[in-house]
Amino acid sequence: MIPCTEFIPAYSALFDFLESKGGPGAVHDFWNYLSDNFLQNLHDLVVAHGIRGCWMYWNHTLNEEAADFTMELDEEAGLFSLTMHRCPSKGMLLALDHVTAYHDYCSHCDTLYRRVLEPLGYEYTYDMSQIDQARCRLVVRRRPPARTP
Amino acid sequence: MAVETMTRRASDNAYLHRDFHGALSTGLAYLESRHGPEAVRAYVTHFARTYYAPLTHAIRDKGLGVLRDRLETVYAQEGGRIRISFTEDEMLLEVEECPAVMHMRRAGYAVAPLFFETSRTLYEAILDGTPYASEWLRHEPETGRCAVRFFRRTS
Repeated sequence: MIPCTEFIPAYSALFDFLESKGGPGAVHDFWNYLSDNFLQNLHDLVVAHGIRGCWMYWNHTLNEEAADFTMELDEEAGLFSLTMHRCPSKGMLLALDHVTAYHDYCSHCDTLYRRVLEPLGYEYTYDMSQIDQARCRLVVRRRPPARTP
Repeated sequence: MAVETMTRRASDNAYLHRDFHGALSTGLAYLESRHGPEAVRAYVTHFARTYYAPLTHAIRDKGLGVLRDRLETVYAQEGGRIRISFTEDEMLLEVEECPAVMHMRRAGYAVAPLFFETSRTLYEAILDGTPYASEWLRHEPETGRCAVRFFRRTS
C-alpha cells in the first residue's frame, strides 16, 4: 500500500510519467480529469454554501495535511483567501534528496480549483511567485452580477 | 459581517489526509482509461524504483526485517489490521482490511479496478534488485483484504 503520507511523491511521479507519455498536454488533461472526477466535494460545498464552501473545503483538507497557512473569509464581500506559509506538499518534495519534483508541480493547484470555481461564478487568482519556498496564495472572489443596460 | 480568519502552524495537526487515497485511485483510473493496464503497472514500477530506492537498498543490505518494520509502521499509522508471520527468509503479510480501500468506500470515492497494483506491483518493484521476491496469494477488491508472501529467491 502506498500510504497517504507518501501520496505526494506518488502524485508528482504520476505527472512525470504522464509527461513522458504525451508531453505537458497529457499532464494538463489529467488535471482536468482529476478536477472533474475528484473535486465534487468542493463543487457541492460552494453550490450549497457560496463562498463559505471554500472555507469549509480547505478547512478540512489543510488541517489534515498539517499545513502552515492563514485563511480569510469575508462573506459579505464575497472574498476568500488562502495564504500558504509553507505548503506541506511542495515542502515535502523540496526536502527529498533522492527524488526530483515534477518541474511544474504547483500548477495543478491552478488548474484543479479554477476549473471548479470559475463556472460557479467566481474569479480565481493564484500567485505562484514564491513556490520555490513552498509558499503561494490563492484568492477566490465572487464575480459581481452582470449589469443590464 | 466580520472577516473570519484561521491561522495554523504545521505543528498544530498530524499529517494524515486519507482523501489522498481517492486522488491516487482517480489517477490510476485515468491512466488505465487513457493508456491501458500496463501503463498502471509501469507507473507504479517507476514510482517504486525512484521513491523507494532507499528502502530497496536497505532490504538488500539488511534483509526482510526492514520491510516488516515498514509495513507495521505504515498500517499502524492508517489504522489497518494486519498479521505478519516472519522468518529471515520468508514473511507472510495478511491484511484484514486495506485502510486505503475502506476509507474510499466510506468517503464515496471510486476504487480503481487496478488499485491493488499499488501493493502487488509496488512490492515486486521494491524487491527488484534484492535477494527477495513477492507473491500475491489472494485479494478481495471490496475490502482490500489480501495476503502477500515475501521470500528469498532460490537462484
